[in-house]
Amino acid sequence: MDLLVTIFGSLALALGLLFFLVQEEDTSPVNVAWLIPVFSIVSFVLILLLGSYDPRRGGSIAVIGVGFSSVFSLGVAYDVLINDVTRGGYIESTRIWFGGQTFAFEFGTYIDGLAGLLLLVVGFVSYLVVVFSLGYMVKEGDRQVRYFAEIALFVGVMLGLVVANSFLLMFIFWELVGVCSYLLIGFWYEKPSAASAAKKAFIVTRVGDVFLLLGLVILFNTFGTLRYSELFSNPELLSENAEAVKWATLCIFGGAVGKSAQFPLHVWLPDAMEGPTTVSALIHAATMVKAGVFLVARSYPLIVHSPDTAIYIAVTGGVTAFIAASMAMVMYDIKRVLAYSTISQLGYMFLGLGAGAWAVWHATENGLEVHAQGYTAGLFHLMNHAFFKALLFLGSGAVIHAVHTQDMREMGGLRKAMPITSTAMGLGVLSIAGLPFFSGFWSKDEILEAVHHNWDAEGIFGALWWLGLLTAAMTAFYMTRLWMMTFSGPPSHEVEEVIPSDDHSDSGNWEILKKEVKIQAHEAPRVMTIPLMILAFLAVFSGFVVFLGDGFGSVVFYGAHHSSEGPIQWGLLDHILLSTLTHLSVLVGLTGVILGYLFYKRGDDGQTPFSTAFVSDSVVTSNLHTFLSNRMYMARLFDWFGMRTWDTLAMVCDWFDRKIIDGIVNGIASITQILSGEVRKLTSGFTGHYASLTIGGLGALVVVTRVVFPLMGWSL
Amino acid sequence: MIDPIHFVVFSSILMLIGAYGVIRNKNAIVVLMSIEIMLTAANINFVAFSSYYHDLTGQVAVLFVTTIAAAEVAIGLAILLSLFKQRDTIELDLLNTLRW
Repeated sequence: MDLLVTIFGSLALALGLLFFLVQEEDTSPVNVAWLIPVFSIVSFVLILLLGSYDPRRGGSIAVIGVGFSSVFSLGVAYDVLINDVTRGGYIESTRIWFGGQTFAFEFGTYIDGLAGLLLLVVGFVSYLVVVFSLGYMVKEGDRQVRYFAEIALFVGVMLGLVVANSFLLMFIFWELVGVCSYLLIGFWYEKPSAASAAKKAFIVTRVGDVFLLLGLVILFNTFGTLRYSELFSNPELLSENAEAVKWATLCIFGGAVGKSAQFPLHVWLPDAMEGPTTVSALIHAATMVKAGVFLVARSYPLIVHSPDTAIYIAVTGGVTAFIAASMAMVMYDIKRVLAYSTISQLGYMFLGLGAGAWAVWHATENGLEVHAQGYTAGLFHLMNHAFFKALLFLGSGAVIHAVHTQDMREMGGLRKAMPITSTAMGLGVLSIAGLPFFSGFWSKDEILEAVHHNWDAEGIFGALWWLGLLTAAMTAFYMTRLWMMTFSGPPSHEVEEVIPSDDHSDSGNWEILKKEVKIQAHEAPRVMTIPLMILAFLAVFSGFVVFLGDGFGSVVFYGAHHSSEGPIQWGLLDHILLSTLTHLSVLVGLTGVILGYLFYKRGDDGQTPFSTAFVSDSVVTSNLHTFLSNRMYMARLFDWFGMRTWDTLAMVCDWFDRKIIDGIVNGIASITQILSGEVRKLTSGFTGHYASLTIGGLGALVVVTRVVFPLMGWSL
Repeated sequence: MIDPIHFVVFSSILMLIGAYGVIRNKNAIVVLMSIEIMLTAANINFVAFSSYYHDLTGQVAVLFVTTIAAAEVAIGLAILLSLFKQRDTIELDLLNTLRW
């Protein structure tokens, strides 16, 4: 009860404060956008100081602080996306941060349609996640203080990243996001796997961050500023410096590759599942990985001047989408399936963004009408993905909370026990699978259409389109598999696992391990199911915003946008529903879902028709299965590469340090010691010795100055 | 009029005698006395050049030097006295605790 009071009271208070701040005529929430990250960051400090006095161990403070941030974010998003206060441009407010003779770094906020969209997604989803954590983390006791403090900071810096007005300020928040993800992935730091997953996440993204920093240095050296408004305002200057822009954008995209877990830096995200499930939900749906997509979308005015970067982004996205989806098909850990699906969907977003940027460049070169469909589609997918992925993660969190395992083979039959969770997750699955009229359908279709649109001009987009289509089918398949394995069938069944037998390396034999599983699950508490229901609603319906009013494309767009009259965009609906491309992607999506259903629907005995024997019987499938289960040996390859190169390098450095550097230092020390051993003998303690040395020295001086100098012809 | 070179040679000889006394003697009182000899050598130079240049400044300096030398001897003897009380000796060879 007191929880409801806290939640609604703080939301009402935040709304009141927002109205108080914007009550004057010409102010809008955009003018106080700087407060958005401040609320969460302040609540981070407050939780650290006062968290242990709170009966919910900091949870109430986090809910209030993040709630304030969310209300303000949604206020800004409302003004930007609905009221269109930016009028297709941007609103910036700055203060001098520090300045020199020739430059000044400023901090402030830069709000446009993109920032508005991200504020909507981050503000909304992260608030639901924080509320959900109140129920999910309750078993952790006093450690919740640390959890809630870190999650408040995480949300705060992500919101800061979104509203920042320069690459420099964004980079600071970018790094803070990395730090927070490190802290939260390693929340159970006493588990070695969690500790190493946290380190892995931090170090792998750091590889990307180095590139990002390099890109920013190139930008600053070339243009002398890192402010968005100054960088983006002069397209002629950008196209004059095409070479610098190309390298800068490639490097910036390197940062996005690390943060958004794109190939080949995707290895950290599946391991990041070691953190609490709520953290995974936050990382996958709202913060962290979305930062990479945001960065690329933010750099769009630069990227459209570099076709190479655009193609590179699209190819990376397409390839990542495909390989991540292929690995998701064989994973048994429910969270790992979702992790690979996130990588795959992020690949989709990059595919869309890259295709859009290339289209803009192509259109500008040939004097055609500039229309970045891929940009809108990619960001549209970002929004939809945030909703259904948060839903799926929170749902899987509720499942894990109930059955205390993450292995889908040991689940099954949860549909009766957890009706709300299973329905909500079912809707999320249908949405990500791209079934018609669910949100994922609209955005995935738009991305594929944007890629297909480029095919005529550049052949590589044809290959990417096929990859995307194939990925869509695979996505539908593995998500159906996830739902069927978790929820269908009776509550108890026998688990079969194929493991290599002891003499596998010689004989190639496999053994089947059997164990009985009984599931006693219960529905999650209401503080967890209500966020699920809200997200399920959005996962189903958020796709329709393309048709409402002037459409999604009229607020989040690059270049020009088409809009038609009327409250609902019937023309667009016609265009989508009658297109052959749409029919094709619906077809592959349905195929995936049906195959998933046929293969993985648990029967009355709890077994899936797609038995493990099927995999192990054929050489091709078993080898493919092993290959994919081992994550394409990417992690192994990285380890091997690390051992070979970095260890050798480290050994050389170690030798150099021990022998050469230490040798010099120790040599100087021992020479000094030997010399001083001799010199100290002069201090004999006999007064006479001192006196004779003094007089002798004086005599020597006299002889030198009065005899030697004149003889040699020198003078003092 | 005696040539100043004679004074200079004389005072140099006195100075060297004093220095020799300081270095060679083991008895602290004799060392103090040798230091007085060195001061006297300096005083002779002052007086000699004072009369040579017809300038009284040198002689005034000698008065100061004499005064300070007396004070120095007083302090030195006091130190030696207390040294003797503590160590039962003023042989410099035995007072070498400042040694490395």
